[in-house]
Amino acid sequence: MSDVIVIGGGPAGLAGAIACAKSGLNVSVVDEFIKPGGRLLGQLHREPSGEWWNGIKESERLHQEARKLSVDIRCGVSVYNLEKENQLWNVYTNQGTLTAPFVLVATGAAEYPIPLPGWTLPGVMSIGAAQVMTNVHRVQVGKKGVIIGANILAFAILNELQLAGITVDRIVLPERNQISQTAGEPEEVMKSLLNAAHLAPSPFLRFGSRFMRRDWIRKVGLNFYPKNGVKINGTPLQLRKAAVEIIGKDHVEGVRLADIDANGTIIAGSETIYEADFVCIAGGLYPLAELTAIAGCPFQYIPELGGHVPHHSETMETPLKGLFVAGNITGIESGKIAMAQGTTAGLSIAKHAGKGAGTIDEQLQQALKNVRTVRRHAAIQFNPEIDSGRSRMNQLWEDLYATSIEQ
Amino acid sequence: MANMGDIVICRCEEVTYGQLQATAEKHNCTARELKLRTRAGMGFCGGRTCRPSLDRILESVTPAIAPGEIPLKYQPPIRPVTFGTVGENL
Repeated sequence: MSDVIVIGGGPAGLAGAIACAKSGLNVSVVDEFIKPGGRLLGQLHREPSGEWWNGIKESERLHQEARKLSVDIRCGVSVYNLEKENQLWNVYTNQGTLTAPFVLVATGAAEYPIPLPGWTLPGVMSIGAAQVMTNVHRVQVGKKGVIIGANILAFAILNELQLAGITVDRIVLPERNQISQTAGEPEEVMKSLLNAAHLAPSPFLRFGSRFMRRDWIRKVGLNFYPKNGVKINGTPLQLRKAAVEIIGKDHVEGVRLADIDANGTIIAGSETIYEADFVCIAGGLYPLAELTAIAGCPFQYIPELGGHVPHHSETMETPLKGLFVAGNITGIESGKIAMAQGTTAGLSIAKHAGKGAGTIDEQLQQALKNVRTVRRHAAIQFNPEIDSGRSRMNQLWEDLYATSIEQ
Repeated sequence: MANMGDIVICRCEEVTYGQLQATAEKHNCTARELKLRTRAGMGFCGGRTCRPSLDRILESVTPAIAPGEIPLKYQPPIRPVTFGTVGENL
């Protein structure tokens, strides 16, 4: 029997497994995909410093380090249930049940959908799927595509598609409705992009610097926003166009776009069809916390963290004894932060397991400090208000659990 | 937004926005009842795709969901498994 079962072999899970194993714990990692690395496998971008971030290399480095420490890594394993029985966690998988006193849930994130007419046609995919097909499977997703949804994730993956030589014709907004909400309002979209501009990778930085932060200038800016959009590395970002329908018989053939005003209201008679053979839907990410939910962990809705997140402390423990979390399940941030959180969670587990003789508190403090440092220097920040979201969760933990756990 | 009602929300069970709205209006549903009546969120993917959309539709149908509560409860199995697999694990 392992001491720790890590669910999810991405940056958080692998870093967590490594930290646990270094402290002398016996660790198993399970992952649904055919190889470890999680979303690291799709990442390729240039940092503002000029250095390249190659997610595949990072995942190989983590994988090798984990293997050197005799971490048992099992791929192609899906966990479908998680429950506690006699002080031990049962992790139910499609390949049998694993049992351990400690579980680290590092299941990452899933993508927000943007339903619109025609979105079930072959050739329509989430932007994350386009990333996996391009950078992991090396399959060309199409010849000419349209991205629906303007956010940091869309820009990062746009850049990767461009690097792979795939033509993205334009980025447009979804039509504003009850489901797309602010993602369909040019003013709100611009606000979210501006706040993040100083942190984003270079192609986006050039776009952001064209605009001012003051409300009235932003309004003027939007009213005069060039009809053909502002180019990001050759692809126009059209904040004043909305996708109203994806067209095609058996496959995507085009997208029907309409002009919209600064609030996202469609201007009558402005509809035009643009040819495309693939469409990427970029709705952003939400924490994939289903396993912690069925385990019985309480939740809080914190929009700055991407949605509903399980209650957790800064040292990555949940209110359920032996259950820890790390990475995007705790809030949407970059892979580097997920790694730093994973290390924190691993050390936290080691501490609870009575490992690390004397130095564990110091190591844990160091790991916490590292999370904050990495966050401050993050090249990609998904939500500009991330710090306030993190503070809210820390405060909630203090209020609800801090005293009772110390007793 | 003329054809909003025809938009498929739950892809696995092919439930449209219009069906969800009509069911909610007719039966004055709770979140769970709306799910059970339409099967939205109950398909192969376990709601991983449509859950956020359903949550937003439910905001108007079932008002005042506390920020600590998840509108639609998660239930195991959260991945498609055969009865055999579940049986062997018991």
